Amino acid sequence: MRLFFSGFRKLRRRPATFVTFGLLVGLLVLIVLAVGATANSTSTSDASGRAAARELLTFPGAYEILLSFIIGLGGLFAMIYGAAIAGSEWSWGTLKSAVTRGESRVRYMLLTFASIGLMIAIGIVLAFAVAVVAGVIGANLAGFSTSGLSDTSTLGSLPEHVLKGWIAVLEEASLGFAIATLARSQLAGIGAGIAFYFGESFASIFLPDVVKYMPFSVANAAVSTGSSNVGGGGGTIASLPPDQALLLVVVWLIGSLLVASLFTDRAEITG
Amino acid sequence: MSAMSGITAASATVGADGLALATRGLRKSYGSRRALNGLDLSVPSGVVYGFLGPNGAGKTTTMRVLTGLIHADGGTVEMLGKPFKRGDRRRLFEVGALVEAPTFYPYLSARANLRELAASGAPVSSKRVEELLDLVGLCDRANDKVQGYSMGMKQRLGIAAALLSDPKLLMLDEPANGLDPAGIVAMRDTLKALAAQGKTVFVSSHLLAEIQVMADVVGIIAAGKLVREGPLKELLSTQGVIKVRVRPNLVDAAIATLAPLAPAERLTETDRDEGWISVRLTTDRAEDVNQKLAGAGIYASGLESGTDLEMLFLELTGGRGPTGGEGAFVGLGALNNGAPAGKGTGE
Repeated sequence: MRLFFSGFRKLRRRPATFVTFGLLVGLLVLIVLAVGATANSTSTSDASGRAAARELLTFPGAYEILLSFIIGLGGLFAMIYGAAIAGSEWSWGTLKSAVTRGESRVRYMLLTFASIGLMIAIGIVLAFAVAVVAGVIGANLAGFSTSGLSDTSTLGSLPEHVLKGWIAVLEEASLGFAIATLARSQLAGIGAGIAFYFGESFASIFLPDVVKYMPFSVANAAVSTGSSNVGGGGGTIASLPPDQALLLVVVWLIGSLLVASLFTDRAEITG
Repeated sequence: MSAMSGITAASATVGADGLALATRGLRKSYGSRRALNGLDLSVPSGVVYGFLGPNGAGKTTTMRVLTGLIHADGGTVEMLGKPFKRGDRRRLFEVGALVEAPTFYPYLSARANLRELAASGAPVSSKRVEELLDLVGLCDRANDKVQGYSMGMKQRLGIAAALLSDPKLLMLDEPANGLDPAGIVAMRDTLKALAAQGKTVFVSSHLLAEIQVMADVVGIIAAGKLVREGPLKELLSTQGVIKVRVRPNLVDAAIATLAPLAPAERLTETDRDEGWISVRLTTDRAEDVNQKLAGAGIYASGLESGTDLEMLFLELTGGRGPTGGEGAFVGLGALNNGAPAGKGTGE
């Protein structure tokens, strides 16, 4: 457990943690407040635009949309975050220090990822809380009712959706983690991860039946509730049923960690 | 580095043969390049062992194998009396190591880095972290982020990290790198004190003068093989140098006179203009040299004798790095003449 808590303490002080979280929350708040402030302005003459604004800022439906935004865009950020953490262990040589102290390579990498998982869980909950506050402010700016805030059936289903969303984001983080481990570099891991993310979206145009099984697509499908997906890679293509997608998310998650662990265990640590 | 408060006496764990570390037939290749070619090291317990070799000789590869960072293709390692094989990571709980450059989280302070490193491997008390910060003289800067540290400060912190588990066997790769003169002296004293308390210190270095004043035993490798190993004093006793100064116009005559005392390859004129000649003989033969010259009517205006690790090193390693290694400097004469690099006089 000391290694897990150590990993968490390291992440807590790491600039990448605040930058990633700040970017996600900043974008979210900016969009929600901008929508709220402009929902009734004369420039928003398009009826469908106003309807979309009403859908985003009217509770309880806003809960799902805001969560979907966090899971979608957060997935990309989580992948970058996972790549940054795993890559730095190689480029900074800190994995080397642990190994020379007799630490198990596999245990070190898995517990490092576990601490990422905890940090992501905290990040999702905090980002969701900020998003709801921003949503309320946005609704007030737009003059929409917030009476649905306390809708018990929606609030009751939120923990399950947040949990599924966390698993989906975790899978995307594990992908970045594995890629950066194979690349032994932060920058290469982040670059390759982003290329994979957008590559998957692009490939969905030509190979929808294949791409729907790919990691970012299954992550989106697993958290899909029928609301619009915002910011997710490959979100508009044919997708798997949520339960089947969730199973594949877990497979991708375990597979990524297995690859990262096996590679680390067998790697020759030099430099 | 300051006080020695962080050091506790070791209950020595050694093999039946009194060795803290032994390698037998260690082999390692990177592709077609053979980095270790049957390396046999015998490191006695409770000594400072100087591990020497030219660039590319296999020093760092050896350190990596001994710390589990890479795996040997063949051969065996015995560490603190027990075999050290792939997967025997717990053997390293009693070992401290600084391999190549010290590595830390740049955004964390020195104190935080040591605390987080202590969470891996063998358990370490938080008191130990404070002791070590004091030992390496970083108490005043312990809360500063490592990214603002100088190379020497990082090196001090790296040595502290290697000492975290109060190791019985300490392995340091170029520990003097980046240290200021005071830091080098303090580091040397610390390592000697560790050895005096029964711990074994294995130091890889290219600073021969540093090893000469610090090490009890040395091992010299070249092209991945051990070429000489033994107590430093013993090795140097066979490696004396007697320098004699005569009139410049008598240099050739002096060399001819001394020929019966030493074979030609042990007799060299080191500075013809100044009339200096070097004779590689044990230092107790200085009187014979003087007598021989005087007998021939050549009177020395200067006579010095001593032992030199550098000379031993150059003789054993050929004064150059291995072919295909990290490269070697060549003498100016070799550059001019197209001759192969060697330990020539640079004429």
